[in-house]
Amino acid sequence: MTRHLPVILFLLPLCLAINLPVIGLKHREWCRPLVITIVIGMVLVSIANLVGVLHTGTIHYAFGGWAAPVGIEWVADGLASVMTVALSLVALVCVIFLSSVLFPYLGSRIVPFYILVLLLIASLIGMVFAGDLFNLFVFLEVSALCAYALVGLAGGKALVAGFRYLILGTFGASLYLLGVGYLYAETGTLNMADLALRVPPLVGSKAIAVGVLFMFIGLGIKMALVPLHGWLPDAYTYAPDRVSPMLASLVTKVALYGWIRIMFWVLGAHAVVYQIPVLFLVGLLGAVAALVGAFLALSQENIKRMFAYGGLSHIGLVLVGISLGNQTGFAGGVFYLLNDAVMQAGLFFWAGAIIHLYGVRNIEDLTRLHGGAGWMSVALVVIALSMIGIPPTGGFFGKWYIILGALEAQNYLAIAAVLIATLLTLAYFLKLFERVFRERSVEQPPLIREVPLAVRVSLGATSVAVIVLGLMSDHIVSFLLKTAIPPGL
Amino acid sequence: MKQMHDSLIVQTMSQLLIPLAQLFSLYVLFFGQYGPGGGFVAGVIWTTSMILTFLVFGLKSPQGRLVEKMLHGDGVGLIIFVGVGGLCLVGGGEFLNYANLGIPGLGAPAQRYMGILISQIGVAVDVAVTGISIVLSLAYHDTEQEYDV
Repeated sequence: MTRHLPVILFLLPLCLAINLPVIGLKHREWCRPLVITIVIGMVLVSIANLVGVLHTGTIHYAFGGWAAPVGIEWVADGLASVMTVALSLVALVCVIFLSSVLFPYLGSRIVPFYILVLLLIASLIGMVFAGDLFNLFVFLEVSALCAYALVGLAGGKALVAGFRYLILGTFGASLYLLGVGYLYAETGTLNMADLALRVPPLVGSKAIAVGVLFMFIGLGIKMALVPLHGWLPDAYTYAPDRVSPMLASLVTKVALYGWIRIMFWVLGAHAVVYQIPVLFLVGLLGAVAALVGAFLALSQENIKRMFAYGGLSHIGLVLVGISLGNQTGFAGGVFYLLNDAVMQAGLFFWAGAIIHLYGVRNIEDLTRLHGGAGWMSVALVVIALSMIGIPPTGGFFGKWYIILGALEAQNYLAIAAVLIATLLTLAYFLKLFERVFRERSVEQPPLIREVPLAVRVSLGATSVAVIVLGLMSDHIVSFLLKTAIPPGL
Repeated sequence: MKQMHDSLIVQTMSQLLIPLAQLFSLYVLFFGQYGPGGGFVAGVIWTTSMILTFLVFGLKSPQGRLVEKMLHGDGVGLIIFVGVGGLCLVGGGEFLNYANLGIPGLGAPAQRYMGILISQIGVAVDVAVTGISIVLSLAYHDTEQEYDV
């Protein structure tokens, strides 16, 4: 039974997504409880899968019974299982949040909306488990198509942002596919494990280098690495407030995970550390992204846009972590990736709730809160502490392990990048705090509306998760070091 | 396009052509087991017959209404595909391992044949519906409006 768990995890949201039109035809109000139930089921299955993988070792799931190099294979190893647990948990809080009564009633459009959300979750699961490069592409595209539609759901400006995302995202996917084509032409296989055997002798070949570069640029667009991030701020700002947490916390992170997979499991840790300068490139771009993202966030007026740029800078930090070429840096990077998913979700929950409760979209208008909004402000402070990197939150320990890895690798540029990015993050959150806590606008009295339960649950869960990740960081990182390190690193 | 085409020649010819195209689509679907063809191609050919239907007879005619009704079958193809895969899972094999389809009285090769055929039917249905919905939304549906999400 255990060996079927990865595919069951994928089938749960997929089956509901394809049955929802039938169910939703008569009973529209069933959609919400069904979706939440299924995602809770996913959390349980993903935990069961993690336990199973820890007990029996990596699961290789051959679709249709065809063995790996010929058939399609899913690989559930330590890293993938940890990722799916995190993904299901974050997806659960996001789904609770997006079904809140805070947001306008969707009417008949609720069915297609939930279908898109479920397909997005299913395809992200597929991306995490995909054992060959082409399937990674397929799921990348499915998730991207759902994301385009979800961004453009509101019409108007969101449609333009969504269309821009579509153009750039399709461009990225095409580049990725081109890269896969180069690798296939050179090695004759698409399976990751098979490629890992065939690529090392060819590692000096120009075709491999060009292919990897294309794949990196393609996934770079998907993960919004800084020079290629043009689509992200608009898309996340104009996306409906109920879906931007899910997009911000999951989509770019899983694309980044895909790149980690390709770099360390296809090219192989030995090749990227000792033979080709890809880690240097990734580290440099990561450092640039960390600084530029935080710097641009500093100059934003719109709250959601500021958080979107903050997310760009954190993608850069994760890349800095994994580019250090040692186990500490890698574990730190992956740990920071998990943290970042939670933090981004939390920040966009907060932004969405503030927009709908108080009608505040810009940082200037935050003075209208009069320091009120009680525990919502507490949640903001907790998540912000983690974004900045102050103990005992998860963000601090993520950065801590990245810096430890950098010291081990004697990469002082990386340390400088992490520290300056931290200072810049502190700067833009101070700008936010000043408006929330210090200044009072005299004219407008604060609009007080009761915070809906779903918002309380999701915001509370993310802020508790941030602290728990911090307090448990020692266990989590040593667990990652034990189970999720690529072979040969 | 919204009304029936006024030429009798076009109407009569398409009355001949549409069933022929559909027959050919089925041929491609089943022949896909042995040679070039399969679900995707069959679905596309079926779509062309449907497009011809509402180009010639208009969407208001009984035939055109049938085309619009087909749009509701969007998930049916996927249900068939995942259903077959799930049956294999229930039967004890991997997802989509048709040898474990669990049809009594059939050997593994025959079960694989059936499994591939049924899942290809699912693919064909989905491709056909998607093709029609693309054409209809490009041709008719005007969605220049903002929603409150």
